[in-house]
Amino acid sequence: MTANDFGFLAPLLAIGIAPVVIMLAVAVRRSYVLSCGLALGGIVAAFLALFAVPQGMPHRVTSLLIFDNYALLYMGLIFASTFAVTLLASEYLAARKGDLEEFYVLLLLACLGSSLLVVSNHFGAFFIGIEILSISLYALIGYTRNGLSIEAGVKYLVLAAASSGIFLFGIALLYGETGTMEFPLLAARTAAQGTNGLILTAGLALVVAGIGFKLAVAPFHMWTADVYEGAPAPVTAFVATVSKGAVFALLLRFFAIVDINAHHSLFAAVAVIAVLSMFAGNLLALLQNNVKRILAYSSIAHLGYLLVAFLASGAMRVTAVSFYLVAYFITTLGAFGVVTVLSGKERDADDIEDYRGLFTRRPWTALIFSAMLLSLAGIPLTAGFIGKFYVIAAGAGSALWLLVVMLVLNSAIGLYYYLRLMVVMYVSPGEEKVAVTLPLSVTGYLVLAVLVILLVWLGIYPAPVIELIRSMTAGI
Amino acid sequence: MRTLLWLIPALPFAGFFVLAVFGARLREKGVAAIGAGSVGVSAVLAILAGISFITSPPPGGSWTQTLWTWIGVDGFRPAIAFYLDALSLVMTLVVTFVGFLIHLYATEFMSDDEGYSRFFAYMNLFVGSMLTLVLADNLLLLYLGWEGVGLCSYLLIGFWYKDPANGSAAMKAFIVTRIGDAAMAVGLFLIFMNLGTLNIQEIMQKASHTWPRGSGLAVAAAALLLGGALGKSAQLPLQTWLPDAMAGPTPVSALIHAATMVTAGVYLIARTNVLFLLAPPVQAAVAIIGAATLLLAGFSALTQRDIKRVLAYSTISQIGYMFLALGVGAWSAAIFHFMTHAFFKALLFLGAGAVILAMEHEHDMFRMGGLRKELPVTFWTFLIGSASLSALPLVTAGFYSKDLILWYSWSSENGSPWLWAAGLAGALLTSIYTFRMVFLTFFGERKKEAGRRPGRVMTIPLVALAVLSVIGGFAELPRTLGNMPVFSEFVNTVLPPVKAAGEAQSAEAAMQVVTSFVSLAGVYVAYLLFLRKRRYVEGLAATRTGRALHRLWFSGWAFDWVYDRALVQPFFWIARINRDDFVDLFYDGIAWYNGFFHGALSLTQSGKVRWYAMGIALGTVIMVGIAVVLL
Repeated sequence: MTANDFGFLAPLLAIGIAPVVIMLAVAVRRSYVLSCGLALGGIVAAFLALFAVPQGMPHRVTSLLIFDNYALLYMGLIFASTFAVTLLASEYLAARKGDLEEFYVLLLLACLGSSLLVVSNHFGAFFIGIEILSISLYALIGYTRNGLSIEAGVKYLVLAAASSGIFLFGIALLYGETGTMEFPLLAARTAAQGTNGLILTAGLALVVAGIGFKLAVAPFHMWTADVYEGAPAPVTAFVATVSKGAVFALLLRFFAIVDINAHHSLFAAVAVIAVLSMFAGNLLALLQNNVKRILAYSSIAHLGYLLVAFLASGAMRVTAVSFYLVAYFITTLGAFGVVTVLSGKERDADDIEDYRGLFTRRPWTALIFSAMLLSLAGIPLTAGFIGKFYVIAAGAGSALWLLVVMLVLNSAIGLYYYLRLMVVMYVSPGEEKVAVTLPLSVTGYLVLAVLVILLVWLGIYPAPVIELIRSMTAGI
Repeated sequence: MRTLLWLIPALPFAGFFVLAVFGARLREKGVAAIGAGSVGVSAVLAILAGISFITSPPPGGSWTQTLWTWIGVDGFRPAIAFYLDALSLVMTLVVTFVGFLIHLYATEFMSDDEGYSRFFAYMNLFVGSMLTLVLADNLLLLYLGWEGVGLCSYLLIGFWYKDPANGSAAMKAFIVTRIGDAAMAVGLFLIFMNLGTLNIQEIMQKASHTWPRGSGLAVAAAALLLGGALGKSAQLPLQTWLPDAMAGPTPVSALIHAATMVTAGVYLIARTNVLFLLAPPVQAAVAIIGAATLLLAGFSALTQRDIKRVLAYSTISQIGYMFLALGVGAWSAAIFHFMTHAFFKALLFLGAGAVILAMEHEHDMFRMGGLRKELPVTFWTFLIGSASLSALPLVTAGFYSKDLILWYSWSSENGSPWLWAAGLAGALLTSIYTFRMVFLTFFGERKKEAGRRPGRVMTIPLVALAVLSVIGGFAELPRTLGNMPVFSEFVNTVLPPVKAAGEAQSAEAAMQVVTSFVSLAGVYVAYLLFLRKRRYVEGLAATRTGRALHRLWFSGWAFDWVYDRALVQPFFWIARINRDDFVDLFYDGIAWYNGFFHGALSLTQSGKVRWYAMGIALGTVIMVGIAVVLL
């Protein structure tokens, strides 16, 4: 390790030191505002450190980590999203009782785990990243300690542990066959062996299955709705965006090094998963009455769409996936942000009835939520449309016609439940239900305003972001 | 100066945005300042851009400002780009300048209306969309503007939405123009499929290289675009929506349904002139449709009682002249008539608005009369507008533009005596119905006291437009009268020149004498029939044929009736008897199956961890199974 290496590690160090500082501060004196501020400061420091990395990328730090533009792009996305989640959580939690300071320790650790994923170049780093992320999430999901929240935390714990086992077994098979856990070496030895080794293929399949749990693609998706529903709304936003996005970024990197197109059977298996996810997600969301569950199912479908772009080949692939992820992050954070700002002290605003007549009570919130839903549905002039357009273009460019047709069909099914939710917001409120008036969450609305501006901006003027993504992912 | 081009459409959009968000909290003065101000600044910028364009013309006679590329995938790269050349400059100047005057007028006209800020928000959105339409450098952006103005037209026709009749007029306008828009959209697909681009200049180049003159594809593309133009510009057979569109506030009629939006079709055809030159049958159709429309609408205008409906039919008829000009290849004459028409028709609508306001929202001309003394400014400006519309010789703008069209409909290569005769007959009708309107409204006995008089803010636009309705024509002096074709020389840097058969100057002079005589004769006929000897016309209308003709013309040649019987009623009938048809069954089936699968899948969401773990195990088996079996 040289001084230069530490320059590269600076973002990770910043995001790793911040929780330590918060813990020490809490030990001295409990102050919610202080720990929240320290968390925000840590994230900002880590974000700024991204711009200060030394020359000479791609740069490897030990055999575990690699720092390149691709990693910086995704770290930036992760930090920005964590920042938004922190802001959303700050007022949400302040309204609740109990020891709240440690929330930010856990959140930053989860962020650290996610960042580690996008820089890993080795199954060792990969596994450590996933475990840091998962263990933090167990506690975060159960943080509010009401019945649903604890249940969700435990479910996530059991199932994530099981899938880690599957994942580890896959790594073991790959190691046994190739004798390495480093991605580039693994790729080289696989290519040398020929691609049709039984053990090798089984190992890759098990790794994908383990990742599939994290991404909540069908049929590994069943936990999603329960966990999304039980977790506090800001944590749900984190699970839906950062944790999935980081894993997807790693998946993309790994299968860019180990060319998935050379493994036809694996390719077919992932295609099956993509189709299953699209249908499972959209059909499950169709008549669902819980908004958090609707968004959970919708995220299953969106991961299915992403897999279509993932299976495409050529230059469009990484651009399409990355842009879609950016759009998905903005939209999902916005949607869960709305749920967060509408949630009262006792429970989250996740019943569809909570949204009846929202437009008459809170026109701006209803408009923002509508924009997010339109983007999820992929309506033009929103980021979601451009994202979907690129995904379809990537799929069509690689002649994945069956997958593209499925995507289009599923987009049509998806429209139903997004519009259903929108309609509810604009009809006049029922009489029996007296809406609880909540204090306006200033930071919450600030975050939502920024997100909705980004959403429309990316829908109308996506060129700069696409150019940024192109240049940053050129090495992949 | 040119780099500020994007601001010209952006400012009205910004005005719309501000008014939409904060309008409800602003006072009337603030709304007026933002609403009219944004368009006013746009007009100033447009004038500055025009000055810099004329004093230092860009190389090639055009200049493109590319802001960004919306999406970039292989061949499909629609840019957000504005294209400034002589044609779009003229359109921009007219839209912003006339638009500003109408906004100014509306600040007073609409005062005390409860939807004041909503009105200006829509109007600003309209101006922004219209400018997007004329400045667009590709057909996709043009289409965005095209649909934007259609939306605003719908919103503003139905502005007083509490009366259901206004709502249905708005829907009628939207649906009828939509028929044309659908044709146009298909045209865009066709062009993109075959030429691989939507950039207008590239289309023009590629089309003339790849499509031979008269080829099927060129004809299809031109015909489909023409379909869009017919709907938007209210030409046969899609003209039925415009008279009903008068349900909107009068400034809306002046801006959207007279001066700007309805001429978008003319602009589209002029902009894509190469396609129409490659499709001679379509271009001939343009001329014939124009000639037929101008005659039919002229007859209808003769019989209307509602002052705004007279003007609406007159607008249809005048756009007919523009189509006639486009059809005979007199591109610059069409644009010239667009400009003068924008001046005098906006003036007439605004004047009519002042009259209607003074009459406490009375539209029926037969209940007005003798307003000459009571509303002097309105009277004189209205008279100037009427003179210009009737093309009274030498001193009016309408004379120069209409004369040019009539001359080319005779002398150009595509012209014919028939077209000319139709245009001449139309000119006679024009001056009869115009001065019928003047005499009924301002002369004769007084039937009702004038109420509210127009204030200064409403008077300024009237005077400004009256001045333009006179001097606007001097931009193009025919060779018989000074020979200074400044306007056509300017726009002919973009548009192809007229292919004239080379008739002698004396022929043109003779024709001018004839048309001057005809328009003056029309005024005299109107004077005779509607001021001096009303019994003649009453006697005429009382005969059997007279009554039948009156009914036919009054109803706009019964197009509404025919469409109702031929399209609307059968559609309702089919919809009624076909309530549970098999097509529906198919879609119901889809919905049912979706619901069914939703139910089935929901069963898997049991909330039990062991069941979920089974899912993971199953997934792993599927993954490994497929990966190994297919190996």
